[in-house]
Amino acid sequence: MSAPTSDDTTTQPAVTEEYHAGHRRSLAGYLVMPGVLALACLVLYVYVSQQELDSIEARSLNAATLTGALWEHVQLTAVSTVLTLLIAVPLGIVFTRPFTRPIRSYLITLLTLGQAVPTIAVLVLLAVVFLFLGFWAAIVGLVLYAIIPVLLNTMVGLEQVDKAVLEAGRGMGMARFTVLRRLELPLAVPVILAGVRTALVINVGTATLVTYINAGGLGDVIVAGLSTNRVTIQIVGAALTAVLALLIDYLAGIAEDLLRPRGL
Amino acid sequence: MTSPSVDSTSSDRVMIHLDQLSKRFPGQHDNAVDELTMDVREGEIVVLVGPSGCGKTTTMKMINRIIEPTSGRIVLDGEDVTRTDPDQLRRRIGYVIQQVGLFPHLTVGDNIATVPTLLGWSRDRTRERVDELLSMVNMPPESFRDRYPKQLSGGQQQRIGVARALGGDPAVMLMDEPFGAIDPITRDRLQNEFLRLQSEVRKTIVFVTHDIDEAIKMGDRIAILQEGSRIAQYDTPEQILTHPANEFVASFIGRGASLKRLNLSRVADIELSPWPTVGVDASPEEALQALRATHHSAVLVLDESGRPRRWVGAEDVRHAGGRPLDQVGLPPEPVVEPEVTLSDALNELLTARYSVTIVVNRQGAFQGVVDIDQITDAVRTMRRTAVSRARAGLDENP
Repeated sequence: MSAPTSDDTTTQPAVTEEYHAGHRRSLAGYLVMPGVLALACLVLYVYVSQQELDSIEARSLNAATLTGALWEHVQLTAVSTVLTLLIAVPLGIVFTRPFTRPIRSYLITLLTLGQAVPTIAVLVLLAVVFLFLGFWAAIVGLVLYAIIPVLLNTMVGLEQVDKAVLEAGRGMGMARFTVLRRLELPLAVPVILAGVRTALVINVGTATLVTYINAGGLGDVIVAGLSTNRVTIQIVGAALTAVLALLIDYLAGIAEDLLRPRGL
Repeated sequence: MTSPSVDSTSSDRVMIHLDQLSKRFPGQHDNAVDELTMDVREGEIVVLVGPSGCGKTTTMKMINRIIEPTSGRIVLDGEDVTRTDPDQLRRRIGYVIQQVGLFPHLTVGDNIATVPTLLGWSRDRTRERVDELLSMVNMPPESFRDRYPKQLSGGQQQRIGVARALGGDPAVMLMDEPFGAIDPITRDRLQNEFLRLQSEVRKTIVFVTHDIDEAIKMGDRIAILQEGSRIAQYDTPEQILTHPANEFVASFIGRGASLKRLNLSRVADIELSPWPTVGVDASPEEALQALRATHHSAVLVLDESGRPRRWVGAEDVRHAGGRPLDQVGLPPEPVVEPEVTLSDALNELLTARYSVTIVVNRQGAFQGVVDIDQITDAVRTMRRTAVSRARAGLDENP
């Protein structure tokens, strides 16, 4: 009792350093994935350049065609993901407010059911029933599918925020919107970002299917190889898709690390 | 009167007036709080205490309208706030909850700055306030300001919780079992610190607990609540312990009311006993001389600034073999500051080697000792005072 605070307040500052190290990867950790992916591309390049390409193969396997397909693929993924975020995050916020509580459980059931419907079915439906083809039809199909993980993660992310934190915020006179903006959303960021990462990876993979509704992308390369029975073309298309998916997942991982609030 | 706080802290001005306040939750048959009317005076700590489910937390949360009352009025410092903007109201009322609820993604400094920021204070003023509050809760600003809540112990987190509640310098504080989730030793220390803090800041505080001992220790007045937040007794801790209003209060206090009374007075309120002391550079002969002059079995060795260094008995002096006095004998334990309750002091001295507790001031200088006789005297005095006061009331209203 003579020194009422001594042992409690002199926590060693060493805690601080340990604590930061735990959350961020080391520089070497960050460099592993790009190295592996570059190596994979190099191997693929060496393999293809040693083949005798016939005229069909040469038409698909040239720099212009491949970068064109790759660029289309990146656009499909990026646009669909941005739209997904713009739709799913606000919806997630709305569906975690008290006034939507009565319909929340029905909604989650519906969404889970929706996720069971394959994207290809959505795409075919759009094309056959609505005669809706091309880039934006592809975007609709991709967004419809990717909304679900982002929406669910947004809801889970917002609901897992410690209720005591919110009560403290309200109790100190933060308005509801301030609580959302300054407490709920920042604290939900890690979970929301995990959903976004999932959506991105889903979109990269699913975007190979939109070739069937004439929307381009790396699916063009794979399908060209399949329809002409050229294994080399199929391998290149598939390998590039895989490399792109891993790269985007890697970039999303870095974004997660950077955007996660400190102190969590 | 043994407890100094009751008569000196609170003015007669009513800070919080609850007028027939009721709350019925949707789908429930009975009112959780039923037509409660009570006053809290400026600068006093009022403890709401009662069994779980009695409505004490609901009552407290209606004051800052975290829970909106079904009917009745809340008057804060003369102003009816029952229908005003709740966000503005809450910025004027400090709020501390049991789970603390620090914002994990903000630094300690930013947590404390919450209300100043909401009130639109300038950056400099906010920063000054944060540092001032950190010092007030005994956490050096330079080492704690930039830490995150996760890096703090439970006790430190609740200190920040209290500092954060004081952020906007509110006149009123609401505290919902603030020390309930903290281990007993730290809780005791935080309670003492908080009482010391309160003696400086003099806020009007409504404090909720289910622990009658905490209520007796913290409260200037205690409201013992029954189901529906009906007041069973609303009075000073002394009166509640000596004259429980009814069976319910008596059974809630439980046994050992006399011992509990020891929580009411502090070491500072009683006269300390002297104890033989010698300076640290005294010779063994001087120490023995000092011992022979009294009936005690040890002297207390003090350093140049008067801080206790060792207990030294006659045997220790004889076997010292030339060593200085501060290297023989026993460490000077137990040591308490004047703010601790007699109950704490009693606890310490029961296990002490020489059956006394050393009392030091805030600088650590020796003031005197407390022994068992002083504690029994204090209990006797308290009972006498309480009885004569009760009889005085009897004579006035025949």
